[in-house]
Amino acid sequence: MDILGKSAVELLESLKKKEFSEKELFAYFHKRIERYNSKFNAFLTLAESTDENHEGPLGGIPFAMKDNFCTKGVRTTASSKVLEHFIPPYDSTVTIRMNQSGAVLQGKTNMDAWAHGSSTETSDFGPSKNPWNTDRAPGGSSGGSAAAISAYLSPIAIGSETAGSIRQPAAWCGVVGLKPTYGRVPRYGVVAMGSSLDCPGPMTITAEDAALVLEVIAGNDSYDATSSPVPVGSYRKEMKKKRKMTIGIADEYMENISDDVKKRVDEAIEIFKKQGHTIKKVKLISPKYAISVYTIIQRAEVSSNLARYDGIRYGNDRTHFGQEAKRRIMLGAYTLSYGYYDAFYKKAQQVRTLIIEDFKRVFNEVDVIVSPTTPVTALKLGEFEKYPFFGEVMDILNEGAAVSGIPAINIPCGLDSQKLPVGLQIMGNYFDESTILNLAYQFEKETNYFDVIKKGFERYKE
Amino acid sequence: MSSTHTKLSKSDILHLAKLANLSISDAEISKYESQLAETIDYVENMKELDTKGVAVTSQTTDLTNIFFDDGLVNNRALTSEEAVANSKTKQNGYFKVKKIM
Amino acid sequence: MKQQYPVIGLEIHVELKTDSKMFCQCSADYFGKKPNTHVCPVCLGMPGALPVPNRQAIEWAILIGKALGCTINKISKFDRKHYFYPDLPKGYQISQYDEPFCVNGAVAIKEKTFRIHRVHLEEDTGKLIHGENKTLVDFNRSSVPLVEIVTEPDFHNSDDVRAFLEELQVIIRYLNVSDADMEKGSMRLEPNISLILNHDGSPDPELPKYKVEVKNINSFRYVKDAIEYELKRQAEILETGELPPQETRGYNETKGITYSQRSKEDAHDYRYFPEPDIPPIVFTEKQLEQIFESLPELPGEKIIRYKTQYKLRPQDAFIITRNRTTADYFEHVVHEFEKHRPVSNHEVEDIPQKVANYIINKKIPVDVSAEEFVRQALELMAPKQTDTKLLDEMIAKVVGANPKAVEDYNKGKQNSIMFLMGQVMKEMKGKADAQTVKNELIKILSK
Repeated sequence: MDILGKSAVELLESLKKKEFSEKELFAYFHKRIERYNSKFNAFLTLAESTDENHEGPLGGIPFAMKDNFCTKGVRTTASSKVLEHFIPPYDSTVTIRMNQSGAVLQGKTNMDAWAHGSSTETSDFGPSKNPWNTDRAPGGSSGGSAAAISAYLSPIAIGSETAGSIRQPAAWCGVVGLKPTYGRVPRYGVVAMGSSLDCPGPMTITAEDAALVLEVIAGNDSYDATSSPVPVGSYRKEMKKKRKMTIGIADEYMENISDDVKKRVDEAIEIFKKQGHTIKKVKLISPKYAISVYTIIQRAEVSSNLARYDGIRYGNDRTHFGQEAKRRIMLGAYTLSYGYYDAFYKKAQQVRTLIIEDFKRVFNEVDVIVSPTTPVTALKLGEFEKYPFFGEVMDILNEGAAVSGIPAINIPCGLDSQKLPVGLQIMGNYFDESTILNLAYQFEKETNYFDVIKKGFERYKE
Repeated sequence: MSSTHTKLSKSDILHLAKLANLSISDAEISKYESQLAETIDYVENMKELDTKGVAVTSQTTDLTNIFFDDGLVNNRALTSEEAVANSKTKQNGYFKVKKIM
Repeated sequence: MKQQYPVIGLEIHVELKTDSKMFCQCSADYFGKKPNTHVCPVCLGMPGALPVPNRQAIEWAILIGKALGCTINKISKFDRKHYFYPDLPKGYQISQYDEPFCVNGAVAIKEKTFRIHRVHLEEDTGKLIHGENKTLVDFNRSSVPLVEIVTEPDFHNSDDVRAFLEELQVIIRYLNVSDADMEKGSMRLEPNISLILNHDGSPDPELPKYKVEVKNINSFRYVKDAIEYELKRQAEILETGELPPQETRGYNETKGITYSQRSKEDAHDYRYFPEPDIPPIVFTEKQLEQIFESLPELPGEKIIRYKTQYKLRPQDAFIITRNRTTADYFEHVVHEFEKHRPVSNHEVEDIPQKVANYIINKKIPVDVSAEEFVRQALELMAPKQTDTKLLDEMIAKVVGANPKAVEDYNKGKQNSIMFLMGQVMKEMKGKADAQTVKNELIKILSK
């Protein structure tokens, strides 16, 4: 069986041709997890296999799911001791949609506890490791999902973003990661972090797989009042049209990045030029303000969303919160408390408006905005602890899209001098996932991401 | 961010912990004093932007009036066994807590 | 002359009788149900569960505000109100903070007007059952829609408070949006009480620098008793020159006293912020008017109309309009009478007052059809056929048996005639026309 490195689209084709059965496919990935999981700590809980055959657009494709999506009957911890033994009595909408599409749950992946972090090191169940170099962090918070894709323990994974939690680990692990528009994919059943920011999204090895998964999980949900009624696009079809685009580049999103990253991103821009796209300089509000807006709003929402964990109806009591969660809850309580609200929360809401208006203005001029996904490539485990504010800085290039709610994708664009993946970010206008997927697909067809994804799993051939 | 000008006292931290229903150790208090102050100092950069008269954004979707029509739908209903299944302290279908005066 | 001047404001919670809860479609009918059987991930505050508001509850909250003369905000939103308590599953209550549905209303009762500060919508909490050495929690009530009505501190005595609350209950029942049942807890009262000890009589004095909120009151009588007790207690403190502490007190109905529950130092910092899970609510004028269409004629308006249209006595118009069903029935019967015009011996204008009398004095049961009511009413109105021969006998008998009363009458004591009439009617077993009896009696006594 020649399965290694096949995309979901290719696996579906093989299943159709009966090159192998669903059961064999599931067993293949299960074996890889058994072999490699202790190395990466990507999965926290494994689901049981089933004998039945699955119909649907993802019929028979195994998938990994971040452990903050409720899965009925399958332990869901959000990587926190508070929920160490929590077995949800219900499925998240994304879980239901994946199940209905015929995808088969492999297991739940590690993450920063409560999705608080950018390295998966705040997990109460140990950090995940970057398959490119196990001394390094996979990024986070969807680090387990990114590692699972990178080492091909899963063909597709579900992650979630509040600000960078899909794109940043995708960049560091050298895979495709899409943060859809806020409201594009329902949040119902996803352990809430920043409610006005949270976005579930796919992590895959090709742009087309990302489009395929998005088609399955996107769309209005009557259980999520913030989910959008905007019709879901035919992303796979749309992405294959050879469009010529105007690509915006903003100096504000090219500053304070490592030379290696800058070099790879500049090369990618040259490729876009060569493909006939127009490059246009644009001006955006410095992302350093998006950090502040994000920090205030996210901490406030965190302090509120984590209030329900009192250990009465489920889970352990509040003494089981880790350091990072406590710190965030306390700051959120501070900015919302009497006398500080206007100076912090209200001000952040106003600056958020400025950032939104800024993006809307720029998207009148360009189709997409391109930048690095992260200022540096994967850091060593342990680096984060030295900087309590480090996550926000690591995600600086992701926070604009997060606070404004626009979609953005990470695609690999080469390796740095340490042979670590560099990520390219493409940001698009509201609900215009089609355009960013289209450009990602064009880039993939042109470069095959410089074989980054292939090199990623080829070291785990066995 | 080497110099912080925001000062949080021990009693500020204890007050926040009380609001947040968290018990924190003495070691944590001093750590939070500086870490929270550092974060607050950072976000003060928002003051550099003029927001006079700028509307607030509490959600980015532009949606309004998302309701359901009154009526019973049972497909999410839990039995009392399911409702209390994850609780460590339960009794006859109730959740149980220490006596509240 | 300086005198005591109570300053009282009210917070009233009313549970709406929607079919489903406020933010999920579990049944809102929790009373007497097995614990935790009307629950789902949303009202249990499970990880990841999200609220979606119930349209009916919003429209009813707006209807209540409209009935209380409020301005309805075209733009409003929900907010999260944070505090920790075992009956509050999410650690916050979804409520409304600075943009409630309704503001600035007023309710007129007799000659007085009481201002409404705001009317907003929120969700109820679960229920705590206190045992010997444990407390049990049931979430069937969790997220049942709850309307909070807040008045201005416009009350200066407990009678006005009671009159207002009774009127409010009548209005809410008219709207058919809640049972407003104090005993079942679908209507809950929390007075805020303070006192100016030496009031100089000015109409708009400076408000006291403290207030005491009293909770756990479950009847109109107890609210009056609790206020009276509180005013006395506060007066005693004020007389010593101290200010009563700002606090929340409970009411013990058996002992008839209030007791301290929570002091100001423990007052909550609720850390409100806009509920990010629920988009704002924006109504056009037209949408609001559609909601107002289900607003019935309210008791206050009915009283005025009944007085002018039906010439009812004010107190009867008040009594007959206390209950919407009764008022509707009254009008139904009056209309039914139209078919029987002219009614012998009676001015048409008398009919409504007569019908009201029969209803109020329970002469005719109100559970019969309007036709049947009219039939019975006509019977009661018809002049009695009097057996004159028998009447003469009975008058002779009564006159003979009551020489004292006869003597009194002859001395000019007019009241005696009423006594004698009563005796005759009794002997006639009611089968006589009162006017005829009176005329015959006078004739005989004058002889």
